[in-house]
Amino acid sequence: MGHTKHNPIVRALFNDDDIVLSAVKDLRANGYNVSEVYSPFPIHGLDEAMGLKRTRLSTAAFFYGLTGLFFAAWMTYYTMILDWPQNIGGKPNATWFLNMPAFIPVVFELTVFFAAHLMCWSYFAVNGLYPGAKAQNPDPRTTDDHFLMEVELEGEEDDLNAKLQELGALEISKIEA
Amino acid sequence: MHYESPVRNPLILGDKSYSDITNDIAKPVESKAPRSWWIAFSIAFVMFLWGVGCILYTIGTGIGVWGLNKTVDWAWDITNFVWWVGIGHAGTLISAVLLLFRQKWRMAINRSAEAMTIFSVIQAGLFPLIHMGRIWMAYWVMPIPNQYGSLWVNFNSPLLWDVFAISTYLTVSTVFWYVGLIPDFAMIRDRAINPVQKHIYKILSFGWGGQAKHWQRFEEVSLVLAGLATPLVLSVHTIVSFDFATSVIPGWHTTIFPPYFVAGAIFSGFAMVQTLLLIVRKIFKMEDYINIEHIEMMNIVIMVTGSIVGVAYITELVIAWYSGVEYEQYAFLNRATGPYWWAYWSMMTCNVFSPQFMWSKKLRTNLVFTFVISIVVNIGMWFERFVIIVTSIHRDYLPSSWSMFSPTFVDIGIYIGTIGFFFVLFLLYARTFPVIAQAELKTILKSSGENFKKHHNEHGAH
Amino acid sequence: MTENNKYWKGIEDQSNPELSEKLAQNEFSNEISSADFLGNDEAVESQTSRRDFLKFMGFSTAAATLAACEAPIVESIPYVVKPDSLTPGMPSYYATAMFDGMDFASVLIKTREGRPIKVEPNGDAAFNGATNARAQASVLSLYDGARLRSPKVNQEATSWDAALTAAKNLITPNSVLLTGTVLSPALSSAIEKLGIRHISVDNVSQSARLDVYESFTGKRGLPMIRLEAAQTVFAVGADFLGDWGGQNFSAAYATRRKPGKGMLKHIQAEAGLTISGSNADTRMKVRVSEYEAVLATVYNTVAKAKGFDTVSAPALRSDIANSVKSAAQDLLAAGEGALVLNGLNSKVAERLTLAINLALGSKAFDTTTFVYTSKGDDKAYAQLVKDVKGGSVDTLVTLDVNPAYAMKELNLEGVKVVSIADREDETAINAAVALPLSHYLESWSDFVPADGHYAVGQPTISPLFDSKSAVEIINSLANGSESAVELVKASANSLVADKAWNALLHDGFAMVPAAEIAMNGSMNGEMIDVSGINVAKPSTGLEFYTYTKTGMGAGTNANNPWTYELPDPITRLSWDNYLVMSAADAVEYGVEIEAQSNGAMNGTTVNITVDGKTLENVPVWIQPGQTAGTIGLAVGFGRQNVGKVGNGIGVNAFDLLPASSALSTKVSVVATEVEHGFASVQLAHTMMGRKIVNEISLPTFLNEDPTVWNEKPTFETHKGPMSAFEANLWDDHDHETSHMWNMSIDLNSCTGCGACVVACSLENNVPVVGKEEVRKHRDMHWLRIDRYYSSDMTAEVAEEEGVSAIEKYAKMEVPSESPSVVFQPVMCQHCNHAPCETVCPVGATVHSREGLNHMAYNRCIGTRYCANNCPYKVRRFNWFNYKGNEQFADVNPSQDDYGRMVLNPDVTVRARGVIEKCSLCIQRIQLGKLEAKKDGRILNDGEFTTACAQACGSNAIVFGDVNNPKSEVSHLKQEGRAYHLLEEVGTQPSVFYQTKVRNRA
Repeated sequence: MGHTKHNPIVRALFNDDDIVLSAVKDLRANGYNVSEVYSPFPIHGLDEAMGLKRTRLSTAAFFYGLTGLFFAAWMTYYTMILDWPQNIGGKPNATWFLNMPAFIPVVFELTVFFAAHLMCWSYFAVNGLYPGAKAQNPDPRTTDDHFLMEVELEGEEDDLNAKLQELGALEISKIEA
Repeated sequence: MHYESPVRNPLILGDKSYSDITNDIAKPVESKAPRSWWIAFSIAFVMFLWGVGCILYTIGTGIGVWGLNKTVDWAWDITNFVWWVGIGHAGTLISAVLLLFRQKWRMAINRSAEAMTIFSVIQAGLFPLIHMGRIWMAYWVMPIPNQYGSLWVNFNSPLLWDVFAISTYLTVSTVFWYVGLIPDFAMIRDRAINPVQKHIYKILSFGWGGQAKHWQRFEEVSLVLAGLATPLVLSVHTIVSFDFATSVIPGWHTTIFPPYFVAGAIFSGFAMVQTLLLIVRKIFKMEDYINIEHIEMMNIVIMVTGSIVGVAYITELVIAWYSGVEYEQYAFLNRATGPYWWAYWSMMTCNVFSPQFMWSKKLRTNLVFTFVISIVVNIGMWFERFVIIVTSIHRDYLPSSWSMFSPTFVDIGIYIGTIGFFFVLFLLYARTFPVIAQAELKTILKSSGENFKKHHNEHGAH
Repeated sequence: MTENNKYWKGIEDQSNPELSEKLAQNEFSNEISSADFLGNDEAVESQTSRRDFLKFMGFSTAAATLAACEAPIVESIPYVVKPDSLTPGMPSYYATAMFDGMDFASVLIKTREGRPIKVEPNGDAAFNGATNARAQASVLSLYDGARLRSPKVNQEATSWDAALTAAKNLITPNSVLLTGTVLSPALSSAIEKLGIRHISVDNVSQSARLDVYESFTGKRGLPMIRLEAAQTVFAVGADFLGDWGGQNFSAAYATRRKPGKGMLKHIQAEAGLTISGSNADTRMKVRVSEYEAVLATVYNTVAKAKGFDTVSAPALRSDIANSVKSAAQDLLAAGEGALVLNGLNSKVAERLTLAINLALGSKAFDTTTFVYTSKGDDKAYAQLVKDVKGGSVDTLVTLDVNPAYAMKELNLEGVKVVSIADREDETAINAAVALPLSHYLESWSDFVPADGHYAVGQPTISPLFDSKSAVEIINSLANGSESAVELVKASANSLVADKAWNALLHDGFAMVPAAEIAMNGSMNGEMIDVSGINVAKPSTGLEFYTYTKTGMGAGTNANNPWTYELPDPITRLSWDNYLVMSAADAVEYGVEIEAQSNGAMNGTTVNITVDGKTLENVPVWIQPGQTAGTIGLAVGFGRQNVGKVGNGIGVNAFDLLPASSALSTKVSVVATEVEHGFASVQLAHTMMGRKIVNEISLPTFLNEDPTVWNEKPTFETHKGPMSAFEANLWDDHDHETSHMWNMSIDLNSCTGCGACVVACSLENNVPVVGKEEVRKHRDMHWLRIDRYYSSDMTAEVAEEEGVSAIEKYAKMEVPSESPSVVFQPVMCQHCNHAPCETVCPVGATVHSREGLNHMAYNRCIGTRYCANNCPYKVRRFNWFNYKGNEQFADVNPSQDDYGRMVLNPDVTVRARGVIEKCSLCIQRIQLGKLEAKKDGRILNDGEFTTACAQACGSNAIVFGDVNNPKSEVSHLKQEGRAYHLLEEVGTQPSVFYQTKVRNRA
């Protein structure tokens, strides 16, 4: 939310997804900035509640697929028509279009191949996921049945703590930026 | 918000909390392997080794060690190939298609189903390789620039389409599977006490933390992958069927093949998933997550696809008769009444008649019966491929070239070997991977968990 | 690392036999086998300490590393002075002739870099200028490693001088020279010079028939048959398209069988189904013992008509009597165009035959010119048997005959034997002296195969082993010192003074003036009068006869893989001989044949006793068309000492019946428990009612329009009905510019003799795979000759009798008991819309601009998809490494140091795991094109042709460029009889067939 100067972070631990969700809404309504929530499973509606933008991965996938399609078309054209047009079972080799029906399966497969793989690589990249990366969740319990919320501390710390207590936080801790 | 109509039976039984799910699913990974696992594994491993031996013998001596001849140039090799590919379809189908249709019951089984997909596609991939006369030239099927200049592959060949289809299918289903696995690996990582185990799962889990944004991307990626995998899975068996459909051999040259093969694939795939799940839930005590509800659903799919396949068989016969082409007519007559009549009728019995029992609720909820049928179906599907391949070419156009096929110990050895290999992989998976997508499962606990549903029904949604 | 190089010091080295022998051995180095090495005890229990071992290791590693830095050196030695006649890479041809005691052929020998690699017909020759399967295969016998490599005395190798002296010491006035038929004047004079009693005897005896003509003319020869003059031929047990009569009739038969008015009518009466019987218009199933009666009946009909007195002929069985009589009527109708042939080695039968032909005034039965390819005299031989028993013969000199194998009644214990043979066969192995005989491609000889015909045989390679030609050996036994060439030259000069020696060698043959045979006795007088002749009464029980097989013949190529691998044209079995038996008898004797789960055929074996002699566990083949009550067995098999290929294959028919007797009626057969595995290349024997071989009758051909009897498939399209060649999904490739190679195969001319199959194997280095593989239907022949029997069940019959489809097809698989037989050569059809090309993932098989279906072996990865998708099933897969795998060491020539020399250098020997198939002899096409290009001219039709077309004596196969309007093949394509195999599949083949026409209503 466009904050330049780093504020300290307050971490609050919850044990129910519904409570976390309502807490996020509540805090945001009170002008707090919920910077992150770690959860063991996707909580539906949480991203809207936190005001996260829609991910653009699917759009990327579309263009990756397009790349695959054009690559396949070019490859079949280059190898079968341009570089060495051979008479294979009397099939036409004059233009790509005449021979195209035979190329559809490969073109399709490569489209899917490019879309799927490049998207997954992007997904790993933007999430910073790679083999052996250190765990990104500060509290191991958040992959089991706990939910960790990070709130930027603006104003009085006690107010926020009180607020979180009231919202049902089990543990509260502060990290200096 | 977590409301689900009370008429739906709960998908998670017992009084479960989130951490119960975590514990139940992490248990097989963390506890010692039961004796039954070791027995199963060693049997599978011996079969696997025998297969490796037979494959090496083939590569060292020549394809002549198989039972093939000048007329029947494909038999068990391609039969097994198509059979394994077919089995490999259910996984992606379950996770992708059912995800698109928001079928919650998939969550209990998709992980294992996808694992099964990948492992069986690996078996399938073996056969196109080892059936080559010169496997050391196998890389020539790739369009690789080479010292011969303009020497490329032949994109008119269905066999080449297979190369692209199978490799795309294998890799895409693998990433699909792995993306889903990451959060569960993270869960095990965060519970692990043993440092070695912790380190391994640290590597496997890619450092997953479960941030809100990551979950958002996770769901997007799963959805898009599902959208891609669905046409992919249909295309793969369609293309496999092209191997035969685009040929000129009576019994192969059949336009009905693509849908017929896909239906068959789903049929055999679901049967195989059924077989495996019944084993997994027993060995790892997962009755609460893989319950009658799931098994019944699966049986219904098996029954429907089985009937579709049956319709396809009959259609083939009718079209052969209707075509008025004597070669076609003889090909199908020969299937049912020729030297390989037994194969044809085994196929009919196993694939068309046996699934009809599933119309009865009593039978399709009976575990033992289900287990038997699930195996019978895959036997039938193996025969289907054998019938299509061998009984078509062993008697084609010119009677002078008619011949017969009978397998040698090598043919049989390699087939058994792949079954062994498959189970080696699956059993290892079942010991080391979270066999159920627990993260996903937790999202439906409140809507489909038994205790929560009771709670809803008593107090209504809060 | 030093080498002891061996240099020629001079000509005396070459004249040193031991040395040249040694060098011949070393020509192909053979490494020390591990067995030898391990057998060597010091080598195993050597006192090598660990330290030594490490030293060796270290050294060898270093050495290997250094060696790896050098490129391998391939040594090739150029000619110091290149012979003018020889250009490396270019073949040179020599005209010569072959005679193996049964087949005579004038041939051209193709040599490459001094190696004979192919036998080709000498088209110019006036007598037997064609090659049969055996002549084609004979070149491999030259490279037979089992040949005798040096003279032997008491089985000890020695020098020629020593051996000759030893032999001379044995030869006394009471010695006898035993030979086969001798055609060579040079040899005959040498034999005269030797001056001892000479007896010739044939493995396939015509003695009794010869006696008839000898009695009239004093000459042992048979009348020359001029088939081209015949109108109706009635052959009784005479397989004249096979091995009967020493003449090659294929060309004449084909010309006379061209469909149209005056087409030759061919009637055959025989016991076993032969090639002639298969091609006949009418075929009668007759017992061997009925041959005489049949001829007598014919004679009587003719005699009545022509006013001669009849003979007393036993009555014929009712079911053949009428057909024989109508055959006689046909002969009368044909008048001087009539021809009767007799295949029975019996005076009576031949006497009747002569009488009938003379009575009818047959122009085709030329009694003024004799053929001499059989001269064996069984009476003299019988006498010899007595004398040997009586002990009045002390030494027996055998020249290219093998009494220990073929003449069981001749007791060799009492005599010393000097064996002149090409190998240590059953006779030579125990002979006092064994003299190695050169192969015909290594030796000088000359021939008078028939009156007025003279041929010279010249060597095409210097002897591989220390052997000599027959004429030279006999001459030196007679203390002559002349070399073979001198002897042959002398006899040539005496016979053909007018023709220069070089011209003679160039042509390989010459016409010589010959006195017309004078018959002592008037043509239409006592010659015809056979009154008082005693016609034998047919037997009613089981009878046994021997016959010759297409591959094996009289058994002279018994160690030649190709003669075994070639499937018998009728039974389609290879690597075997067996009793042929009718289905009726099979039931009676409890004989069965059934296909195994892998398609291989297994059958019952029997113990057969003939005239008190018994053979055990003889396999039996149930043969459609076999006369009930007769069983036949092929000669030439069951060898013990012929070589690794032939030893122990089949059974020896001579154990049961001597060559001199035509049949025996004292036969008993008992089925045993032992099963026999056949190597059958064909599992289904009928056409299942499909239009594969299009066959019609002569009247239909003459009176109906081709559209009626040769209907082409049409396809309904949006542009209206279209032929399989017009109905395309896409614009076709250009097939008009440049060449378009096509092949026409006339099913009317093809007799199924199999010469093309062997020729193809030779030309294209097709691997021989042996019995076990053929049994599994893995024969590698690029060109096969499918044989189909007619079935009693047809679509029409099913229609009438309302038989169900299932039952119909089941019955269609069963051949008729008296089938009509068709042959169809099938090779790659070179489809212009080839199913195989489309499916190859790596594009290893693609189409050429000239309509050829190419196969790039080194691109093939062996998916076998092409073979599956080929409707004609002509593609062959290399299941094993045939040129390396020890399973094939005994059969495949390319695994033998000598056999390898026969390989055609222009054609790749295929690797394991690749597909191969007919290329329409692309190496010949390329050569022809290049020759034309060098001369800067347009390629003429018939300049070159494929190996199969060239080998085809009946010219059934025609190859050429259809884009050349003047080419023969382009005309044939327009013929009304032309059709494409499986045209409806839409493959648009480049090979097409000509409808078969039978001369019957």
